[in-house]
Amino acid sequence: MSKKRVLIIGGGSGGAILANLLNPDEYDVTVIDKSRYHTFQPGQLFVAFQGSRKEFQKPIRCLLRDEVKFVNKAVSEVNLDDRYVVTSDGARIEYDYVIIATGVHLDYDAIKGNREILNEYGDYFSSIADAKKLWNTLRKLRKGTFFIGVADPLYKCPPAPHKAAFLSTNLFRRMGVHDKVKVILGMPFPHAYPSKTVSDIIEPKLEERGIEVKTYFTVDSIDTKEKKIYSLEGDEVKYDVATVVPVNTGPKIKVTPEKVLDDTGFFKVDKFKLNIEGYDDAFAIGDCSNVPTSKSGVTAHLHAEVVADRLHGLDSVADGRTHCPIVSNGEGTFVISDYNHPPLPIRMSKFKRLQEDIFIATYWVAVKYPKLMQPIFRSYFEATRPGILSKVGW
Amino acid sequence: MSGNVIKVDARNMACPGPITKVVRAYRKANNGDIIEVLATDPGFKPDIEAWVKRTGCELVELSEEGGVIKAVIKVVK
Repeated sequence: MSKKRVLIIGGGSGGAILANLLNPDEYDVTVIDKSRYHTFQPGQLFVAFQGSRKEFQKPIRCLLRDEVKFVNKAVSEVNLDDRYVVTSDGARIEYDYVIIATGVHLDYDAIKGNREILNEYGDYFSSIADAKKLWNTLRKLRKGTFFIGVADPLYKCPPAPHKAAFLSTNLFRRMGVHDKVKVILGMPFPHAYPSKTVSDIIEPKLEERGIEVKTYFTVDSIDTKEKKIYSLEGDEVKYDVATVVPVNTGPKIKVTPEKVLDDTGFFKVDKFKLNIEGYDDAFAIGDCSNVPTSKSGVTAHLHAEVVADRLHGLDSVADGRTHCPIVSNGEGTFVISDYNHPPLPIRMSKFKRLQEDIFIATYWVAVKYPKLMQPIFRSYFEATRPGILSKVGW
Repeated sequence: MSGNVIKVDARNMACPGPITKVVRAYRKANNGDIIEVLATDPGFKPDIEAWVKRTGCELVELSEEGGVIKAVIKVVK
């Protein structure tokens, strides 16, 4: 019997972990990505605010098992009806199963001024190079306002702006300018964090750090001449340095049929089985899917396990589990929820920051050898299941 | 002249789902349009009241029936 051809579009957390989980005796696996490199994206925060030179980027090829093929090309078209993809050089690749794992597209041109401030100051959200640029920008800031905001309420890694705010105040302290640099965090929600429960935990910490939170503040345009940010809700902020998470959309790929995409370009999937609606040989995992969960690497990892199981004939389903770390200086907490439980109130502690640091240190092993790490992650996710935690606390 | 009516169904969505949908509808809306939201999250009532106050929009109707909150907002931009 010939092996079935599995094509995975995207070599990020979800795509790489899935490729490494699939049985090479059963599947002929190819990963295709426009980039040669896989970035541990949370690392961008440590580059931007701590000048970290840790290895947050590795060639995708080095992260995949030898049996997995890697194609370094951009995908321009996916045809789910005729089971093929087209690469940007016009080549056509046929498949038996396709898994879309591209992540989001960052649209820096959706609102006025967003690309200009990225080019001028760098940011903590898009790449290691831009994170280095922001680090160099902030180290020169001696006084004024550092504004952190978002252009849309739906963006990947919901705690990223809060982590940026916490870590920036630490940097300004180390620079001895914390009494001269004001950090303002603009959020579209009625409170500091999308979830009220989590807001209640972190708002006192933000206040303690002197971070001003502007609620109901969705960045609508940036006037780079006047250095002013205008919100959709009618407010404005004068800044000296600003960083704004751009509008996040689905990947810029022509998809046939178009009806499998929602109005933001995300793939409509069965939130449990993760197959693209109407197809049993096509899946979308992680950030590019429309599951009603926070977009995060943890979700992509858990999705990869579900799809691997399903391709191996097991009836695994996604439960919507999130486990998003929020770190401040020396403390951390996790936003833990699933389809049946909204985020739990979990206090910040030094021990949770240590756990996050352990995850970071073991990240590359988890991507390349997911089977080796599986028992550890399974026990961990079981022990921290929202239904269990809400009874025993943490 | 009356504006367009934009319907937003945020039923069975937890916070911040409903407010996210309202913000996105508001971005696309023109002055005078009507945004009609249905939500089931109990926190939506105070949230939408505060949002309307902040944006300067007009809250035409805010009602609740059978656990479904209905907010009708006239867009002022």
